[in-house]
Amino acid sequence: MTASRGRPRGGGARRVLTGPAGIALLFLLPALVSLVVLRLAPAAVALVDSFFRTTLLGGTSFVGLGNYAELFGNPDFQNSIAVTLLFTVLINPLQIAAAFLLAVLFTRRAAGSRFWRSMVILPIAVPPAVSAVIWSVIYRPDGLANGFLAVIGIPPQPFLTSQYQALLSIMILLSWIGVGYWMMFLIAGINDIPASYYEAASLDGASSWRQLWAITLPLVRRPLAFVLVADTVSNFLVFAPVQILTKGGPNGSTNLLMYDIYTRAFTFGDINRAQAEVVILVLITVVIVALQFRLLKTED
Amino acid sequence: MTDTVVRSRRGMSRRTVLFVWNTLLAITVGLAFLIPLWWSFINSLRPGAETFSYLNPLQWQTFFTATPTLENYLALLDSDLGRAILNSLFVSVVTVIVGLGVCATAAYGLSAFKFRGQGVLFSVVILSFLIPFDAIAIPLADMFRDWNLQNTFIGLILPGIGNGMAIFLLRTFFLAIPEELVEAARLDGLGWWGVFTRIYLPLSRPALIGAGLMLFLFQWQAYVWPLLMGTDDEHILGPVALSNLQGQFQVDYGVLFAASMVLVLIPLAIILGFQRYFIQSVSTTGLK
Repeated sequence: MTASRGRPRGGGARRVLTGPAGIALLFLLPALVSLVVLRLAPAAVALVDSFFRTTLLGGTSFVGLGNYAELFGNPDFQNSIAVTLLFTVLINPLQIAAAFLLAVLFTRRAAGSRFWRSMVILPIAVPPAVSAVIWSVIYRPDGLANGFLAVIGIPPQPFLTSQYQALLSIMILLSWIGVGYWMMFLIAGINDIPASYYEAASLDGASSWRQLWAITLPLVRRPLAFVLVADTVSNFLVFAPVQILTKGGPNGSTNLLMYDIYTRAFTFGDINRAQAEVVILVLITVVIVALQFRLLKTED
Repeated sequence: MTDTVVRSRRGMSRRTVLFVWNTLLAITVGLAFLIPLWWSFINSLRPGAETFSYLNPLQWQTFFTATPTLENYLALLDSDLGRAILNSLFVSVVTVIVGLGVCATAAYGLSAFKFRGQGVLFSVVILSFLIPFDAIAIPLADMFRDWNLQNTFIGLILPGIGNGMAIFLLRTFFLAIPEELVEAARLDGLGWWGVFTRIYLPLSRPALIGAGLMLFLFQWQAYVWPLLMGTDDEHILGPVALSNLQGQFQVDYGVLFAASMVLVLIPLAIILGFQRYFIQSVSTTGLK
């Protein structure tokens, strides 16, 4: 305030406050504060906390990478990592293949195609927790899923209570939610391909399978790359179905990373190691998202 | 001549066969995706005691009811679930209003001005959406507990208002507004705030609707955060209240399905109403 009166020194400060930078900063301030405090700070807090350990007596000591070392030696965490990897390796190719095939189907000529397509997109509107609750009723021993199995002569299945079926049951539920969403990006990509390419291929006598492999697939590479990355990230963050349907069980078979963090923090009260796990999860997702930016940039 | 006629007719019929095949496949897939929701919808229209009545064997009553009743929806009105859904609505609407203000001003600051350090500020925005919110929800909940924001609406709303993706979307749109227009307005004596409210905002309705939808769905679909932040009866949100019923000894499935349908129909109505903008906002989520 006093500085602005003294001309020689105040000129610069005054220009910052009234010049474009100052005004722009005022407009940006609320968003910057909220992004820094609500997104970046918690990540930083997790990182710092992950290097410390609080004992029952209330003392806090620096342990370096000790929490990480113990985490990786912990059989429960090892199991959680294994389950998450298995889940990632299975669900992502499955969902992307399904989304691609459905996108191809729904861009072909068929009666009422748009109408049937909207049925596939519909689950997007369902909040994940609501889908989980609906499917928990479907998967009950006397529920709808077993009703359908009975029609084709298969005995009732335990779905969520069998350690061999629970993860698969969760993947089916997640695909019901997600496939339509990813399909929309691929439909947009397919619609961008000029029809003349297909006409030329038909004249050359290429079968429709051949056209699918030689024209459609390579030309939707860009949306496909985006879907691959975005789908992988969202599957790393799966939480509601696990928490609502299986609580990580039976026998740890659905204990995905997000749920493991949650139980470590709130059931076991082991905040520092939970924070170390948050850091691992954030690192994984940041690497994947950064990869996406790379992929999409270099193709321009 | 006859040769080409035969060939074209055979081509036609092959096309017809393909058309029929595609249609059958499309119907099968469409129905398969619809069935879980449709079954929930029908169950919301009949007493909870009948939920599991028509499943073994499957019959027409499984998917239809001759005596629909709105009783479950009426029961919702004075139940805890109804209250929770109203809380969800309140949190989402406030988030859209405040969030649009915060995100639009930020996008304006990033697009209407040219200054040094702009790139750095923009990368803070980008960086903030590299980190998915759910991943940092637990450390953030820890911070909020220290600030006494647990079980408050402010605690529930706050994380939704600064949305890097919405800022990004609005900025892209704002950059397309011609500079001459802004210069002319400035010469006419309009201040920066005037330029923002009189020129940028009215010209950007589609982008604002798209960003608003994004903010709305973020809150409406949230689960991890409300589970950590809103645990008492007055601040519990719809999805959390619904999931609390799961696993309880006595559940009225009719009411459970009615609540599920309301939680689905509200965003669905909004998405359908603004379909054009929804697809636009989805496709800018990373594609173009």
